[in-house]
Amino acid sequence: MSQSEQKIIRKAAAGDRTAFRELVLEHSHSMFRLAWRMTSDESAAEDIVQEVFIKAWRNIGKFKMESGFRTWLHRIAVNTAMDYLRKQTSRRRYEAAEPDWERVQEHGEVGREDVRIDIRAQTQEAMMNLSDIERSALLLRHYEGHSIQEIAQILELTTSGSKQAVFRAVKKMRIALRPLVTA
Amino acid sequence: MKYVTDDDLTLLYYGEHDDPGLAARVAGSEELSARFDALSAELKLADEYLPPGRGDDYGSHVWQRIAPELSAENTESKLNWKSWLSALGQPRFSLAGVFSLAIVAVLAFMLGRSGDPGGELSPLANTPGNSLTLLGEVDPTRLLTQKVSGHLENVNLVLTQFVNTPEVSANAAEFATDMLVTNRLYRRAAAAQGNQKLEMFLAGLEPLLIELAYDAQSRSPASHERIQREISDGLLFRVRVFNQQLAKTGQTI
Repeated sequence: MSQSEQKIIRKAAAGDRTAFRELVLEHSHSMFRLAWRMTSDESAAEDIVQEVFIKAWRNIGKFKMESGFRTWLHRIAVNTAMDYLRKQTSRRRYEAAEPDWERVQEHGEVGREDVRIDIRAQTQEAMMNLSDIERSALLLRHYEGHSIQEIAQILELTTSGSKQAVFRAVKKMRIALRPLVTA
Repeated sequence: MKYVTDDDLTLLYYGEHDDPGLAARVAGSEELSARFDALSAELKLADEYLPPGRGDDYGSHVWQRIAPELSAENTESKLNWKSWLSALGQPRFSLAGVFSLAIVAVLAFMLGRSGDPGGELSPLANTPGNSLTLLGEVDPTRLLTQKVSGHLENVNLVLTQFVNTPEVSANAAEFATDMLVTNRLYRRAAAAQGNQKLEMFLAGLEPLLIELAYDAQSRSPASHERIQREISDGLLFRVRVFNQQLAKTGQTI
């Protein structure tokens, strides 16, 4: 963490809203990406991002400079997203992008963009079929670049537990995505 | 020379393998290179899981939405951060959990029925297009074995975590409760199939899962240590060995 970021965090922890605004501007996109990948729901992801920053504001005084601020925010984001998912009555209610099947039938062939959308839809489906812990572990490793050790901290697991969660997620994703590689 | 597993290759892919010689070994082996390339190609597809874009002013938009919510008071929290993180784990017995357990219940019921040597399948099972027809085409014993194997993997993960952590998280309470209910359903399915060994093994797990769920709620250090000892004294080992047997045989134990 840079010294300038530490300075901003200290100011925010002292109640400086302008400093906290800087942190919001800096991390909003990253939080949205994580929240969306956790939920596959745009509107929910927006709500989660706002909730994350409100919680961060209330608790920034407890933040220890030993870990990265982004890691700390990710921990809040993952927990908030999991909380959201638990509250859902229909867990699998996400809208996967579908290929334009009518156009495919009309033209009798699948265009490159259709294949791309199909891959995206199937990746999304595979991702949402993982357990919350597995999906979180994979998202944090694959997209956010966190180490196994950091993932363990974020998910409150042992290092071995976080490693196993990543392994299981990878195995499931490979099985789901393998047919698309050869297609 | 130690066999290179897919897990080793996964760690290598993410740059986290602790064996510095592994990369060279993979590069020097056709078989390992092919496996690594396959893994890379499959995981690369995951990059297609792209979130919808947000404009450059998204951060400002978020700020405008939350600014009224932020109190002017000092940010020292009214709740400590551990307690609210734990609170995020509530309610323990969530709707999502109930939903997933309902699916397991239906599956266990169907496995039990289709494997019941003394029972008869519903006439609906032979109706073309009915989902039960499909189930009738697969080996119910094998299907149950696969499902139980996945369940035991989860049990193993949670027990390992429990043994290695000084205190229980709110998530552990939810997992333990879910696993307890799932365990019972699979035990009943095994009983209906006449698979006594599997039934007895799952029955043997139940008391511990009950204690685990209770301990996660009560958070008593003494109880936590006692259960940790019980798990370390062989239960974890038995779960792993039994699951390995399940994976190897893929049939009735």
